[in-house]
Amino acid sequence: MVKKITTEEFNSMDKSGVSVLDFNATWCGPCKMLAPVLETVSEELAGKANFYSVDTDENPDLAREYGIMNIPALVVLKDGEKVDMNVGFVPKEAIVDFVSKNL
Amino acid sequence: MERFDIAIIGTGPAGLEAAITAKVRNKTVLLLGSSNTSDKVAKAHTIQNYLGLPNIPGADMAKTFLDHAKSMGVEITDDKVNAVYSMGDYFALQCHGGDYEAKSVIVAAGMSAMKPFPGEMENLGRGVSYCATCDAALYKGKTAIIIAYSEADEEEAKFLAERAESVTYLPQYEYVGKLGGNIKVELDVKPAAIVRQETGYALETDGDTYTADGVFILREQVAPSQLVPGLTMDGNHVQVDRSMATNIKGLYACGDITGTPYQYIKAAGEGNVAALSAVSYLASLNNK
Repeated sequence: MVKKITTEEFNSMDKSGVSVLDFNATWCGPCKMLAPVLETVSEELAGKANFYSVDTDENPDLAREYGIMNIPALVVLKDGEKVDMNVGFVPKEAIVDFVSKNL
Repeated sequence: MERFDIAIIGTGPAGLEAAITAKVRNKTVLLLGSSNTSDKVAKAHTIQNYLGLPNIPGADMAKTFLDHAKSMGVEITDDKVNAVYSMGDYFALQCHGGDYEAKSVIVAAGMSAMKPFPGEMENLGRGVSYCATCDAALYKGKTAIIIAYSEADEEEAKFLAERAESVTYLPQYEYVGKLGGNIKVELDVKPAAIVRQETGYALETDGDTYTADGVFILREQVAPSQLVPGLTMDGNHVQVDRSMATNIKGLYACGDITGTPYQYIKAAGEGNVAALSAVSYLASLNNK
């Protein structure tokens, strides 16, 4: 499951393990395309990584903190530390590879 | 939404032959591109080596191709494809005129003469982007440069300028617009290279150097790897195997886009192979 979160929820949540943040916006076409693909990936990798969706319009501070200049952007966190990032739409297998190599 | 068996992008010899072969195999086909076939065919002087059509002028060859396709029930949807997304077991195609879905895709979009600027590919997604409306909200209080190639880009500039602090607009076309406000239009500037700086970018040109937080390049034709995110390239060409399969399952490429020689009959031959490969792929989907 990909959980939609706000900056406040992000700041106070438990970030242990691997988290994947999907920075997006409602008006961004590629983001809309990525969402259902990421949903299936999150199910495939359930228990290994936690998936979150961040609306950059509603959470500009979080987007700025992670240096997001273009969306969609996937940021991988390990125990709260940013370890990897990928910008743009990517097919399912490529997302699985991208997240798995950071597990 | 109707989900086509095969979506084909491009109406040159590769795309048309792929569409004809797919029709012979009784598949539903969405053929996207110019309804006048490729300019590379229509504007050619004469072609000497196309089997069965000796010494044929380009314009006649174009007509012969289109008549053949029409006689097979192939229809051309005159639309421009922005992006093809691999969604898992199908593809979503975002076009100017709307969105489409297909189980498999054949890319026969030809080769464009466009070359990326030095610094463009390395910084893509890090402040260099092809879609101003996509990233506009991230530019609140920031500055941006737009390298524009058509009048339609002026709308994107306005949208971006509503959010950004200021926008420098560099039209690479005959500009007659009236952009104003926080949009600064600089005429007759030829961009040369994008250089990453400590914060933001410098755009070197044949004249002044411009700096901004981000650079948007709004070309009419996008590189294949932008058209199909995740596509593996081999230099400027799409990497394919002998079955015309790309690295993305269910997506094939044929014609000039796969590499030299740039010959009409080679393109048509590859179109035939790509369509037959797509047909086998569709059969494997049904056997699941």
